[in-house]
Amino acid sequence: MPDIEPFSPRGMFHEGWTAEVNDYAIACGWALKGKQFIVGDVAGGIFAFEGDTGKIIWEKENTHSGGLLAMAIHPEGEIFATSGQDGNVQICNCHEGKVIKTLDLGKGWVEHLKWSNDGLFLAIASSKKVYVFNEIGEEKWISEVHPSTVSAITWSNKNELATACYGRVTFFDIVNNKTNQKLEWQGSLVSMELSPDGDIVACGSQDNSVHFWRRSTGMDAEMTGYPGKPSHLSFDDSGKLLATSGSERITVWSFIGNGPEGTMPGELCHHTEPISSLAFSNKGMLVASGSRDGSVVASFLKKDGNGDPVGAAFAGDLVGAISWRPDDCALAAVNAKGVVNVWKFKVRTNLFSKGFK
Amino acid sequence: MSIKDKVPVTILTGFLGSGKTTLLNRILSEEHGKRIAVIENEYGEVGIDQGLVINADEEVFEMSNGCICCTVRGDLIRVLGNLMKRRDKFDYVLVETTGLADPGPVAQTFFMDEEISSEFTLDGIVTLVDAAHIDQQLGRSDESSEQVAFADVLVLNKTDLVSDDALDTLESRLRDMNRMTRIIRAENAKVPIETVLNLSAFDLDQILKRRPTFLEPEYPFEWTGVYNLDAGKYELMLEEGPDPEMSLVALFNQGESEEELKDGAESSVRLYAEKANTLEPGNTIPYGDHINLKLDGKGNKSFILNIEKPTKIGLFTQHTAEEFNMKVIKSDENKEVPFNTERFWQAEHEHDDEVGSIAIERFGDVDPEKLNTWMGRLLSEKGVDIFRTKGFISYSGNPRRIVFQGVHMLFTAQPDKEWGNEPRRNQLVFIGRNLNEKEMQEGFDKCLI
Repeated sequence: MPDIEPFSPRGMFHEGWTAEVNDYAIACGWALKGKQFIVGDVAGGIFAFEGDTGKIIWEKENTHSGGLLAMAIHPEGEIFATSGQDGNVQICNCHEGKVIKTLDLGKGWVEHLKWSNDGLFLAIASSKKVYVFNEIGEEKWISEVHPSTVSAITWSNKNELATACYGRVTFFDIVNNKTNQKLEWQGSLVSMELSPDGDIVACGSQDNSVHFWRRSTGMDAEMTGYPGKPSHLSFDDSGKLLATSGSERITVWSFIGNGPEGTMPGELCHHTEPISSLAFSNKGMLVASGSRDGSVVASFLKKDGNGDPVGAAFAGDLVGAISWRPDDCALAAVNAKGVVNVWKFKVRTNLFSKGFK
Repeated sequence: MSIKDKVPVTILTGFLGSGKTTLLNRILSEEHGKRIAVIENEYGEVGIDQGLVINADEEVFEMSNGCICCTVRGDLIRVLGNLMKRRDKFDYVLVETTGLADPGPVAQTFFMDEEISSEFTLDGIVTLVDAAHIDQQLGRSDESSEQVAFADVLVLNKTDLVSDDALDTLESRLRDMNRMTRIIRAENAKVPIETVLNLSAFDLDQILKRRPTFLEPEYPFEWTGVYNLDAGKYELMLEEGPDPEMSLVALFNQGESEEELKDGAESSVRLYAEKANTLEPGNTIPYGDHINLKLDGKGNKSFILNIEKPTKIGLFTQHTAEEFNMKVIKSDENKEVPFNTERFWQAEHEHDDEVGSIAIERFGDVDPEKLNTWMGRLLSEKGVDIFRTKGFISYSGNPRRIVFQGVHMLFTAQPDKEWGNEPRRNQLVFIGRNLNEKEMQEGFDKCLI
């Protein structure tokens, strides 16, 4: 249970709408250009709400026997994919939630799903293998068997997929079926993010560090001293700031100038318990963080990675996932009790300082 | 989150063919009111009958610093991380490892990973041992001795295939390697569920309740009887026993309180260190001397005890009185004089295996800073060889006991119940490979105030 007292949205967060799903909410995202908000719970329930009002549009249960593990909404927002412990992936239509195609990948858990930026490909990680399918569910590529379970996947450009596992990050050209690059590091990589231009690779490691590589120069660096494993990473849209967290504190590395090697990172300390979700806004230097204590904070960052909170809200329980609406004018948080909160995010004009009289 | 809200986890280890799956099925099929989630390695011996079963590859992840104490099981972190979100579906977790698994990384996962340790608590490590094959396995592989060393409970399985004598020998070998373990004999993995689940095995009190002498030092004798004797001539009569001879020390004026018995034991230890004088039946037993009674030959053997004035005689014998049906008889009345008090001691014996246990028990308070420095250094130098640590400590100025538990280098110290009127003391047990008992005891003594 959170130790903090409930509080009303403050700063740039304003009351929006709330709703409930049936179980621990683990995934969420905006579809249909922000007109719809989709939430997945751990038991396999999927719920679609009207983006403005929170009115339920459709819902379905038990989509994956054993439970849901991942959900990814297509960049165009018309379809989405879900995966679970049953070894299946379902590609569904956002309007009605109907299954367009079910992909059976065998026995292993399917833990990660990522659409390529242009939406042509869906990458899927299950145990030690990664698969690529197209929008209509046709298989396009299968990876070799990785040395351990794949812990993260992400697209570096439209044809190139990066995978992380124990000891290495690998870049695959999935159209020409070749391995472009292998970056090795003896450690259990638990998270991975790429800068938007695909040059900087950042991985959180089980040994409480963040490892960077710059693909263009081959230089790498290790940032140690985290109190916990940095499971949460997020780059801003310019690729200059990387927010990382493995505890109640957020550490922000700035890649401006010669950084971040040899520089002091920015530190944001707004939560009483470890961060459970972290996301930069789609544009600009706003980072939102959700914590196990149920608090959600948005911070406006400066170039050096330091910054100030500009809004805060209370989600009621451990924040399972957060998501900025495509226009960044709303932020959604779903929690461990299945509660969905959507707050409007804007300048509170009526509270503008009028200056000293 | 308090320890009560955390989900208890039992780790089940044992070599291939030791009966893990049989035990697992037994646990799952029994009515115990628990909803158990089982995490099973993918290459299980045979299928599990029922229950919430999740397969996982054993993925042992070493850290970049190369320290084996930081090695964790990546698959467990992923699976438990997911189970954490389904707390309504289960209230207990069982992790079955493959036969060749090193239990270290499994146990370390519950200390090393903050997310896991905040939701789960390691309840105990249960190791199954195939009574017919473990002797050979112990010689051949490090994994099997490590599985024994890590165990809170050792299930000595398939006892129907082995003679009672062989079982006794095996049990004492296993006990040598791991003094804090509880050994349960079983046929076909048939053990009461409460002996393997919900042990709170990291709680040292539980172990002491079961075996109050396990922390005691070892003595060269197993038994003491105190006899209240008037002046006169007595016979010490023994029947045939397990050995053709037995060592003994007889002391005058032996008190009967625990403290006096321990004093007598200390004097006897010193006497036992001297070479024994052999006595033939019919000889007179001297006092305050290490003697060796010759007992070969059939029938009763008698030795003489002469008492000049009424006293209490303490007999510190290598074996228990029962084993030789030993009696003290007043010669002129031909009447047995029963002992007033008896006391059993932890007997010392040969330690063949590299893996063993060390216990430290001291009254008084320790200086927390000194203890931290000492433990820190000990674990950083010897962490690889120290498999398990548990115990409690009395910190000066702290009204509560501090409970310790550790796996390799990792340890946690948590305040426990208040001392109240209980005398303040410290008990620590280390199980490991090639540990130097004397050095460790001296190190600890320097932390005492």
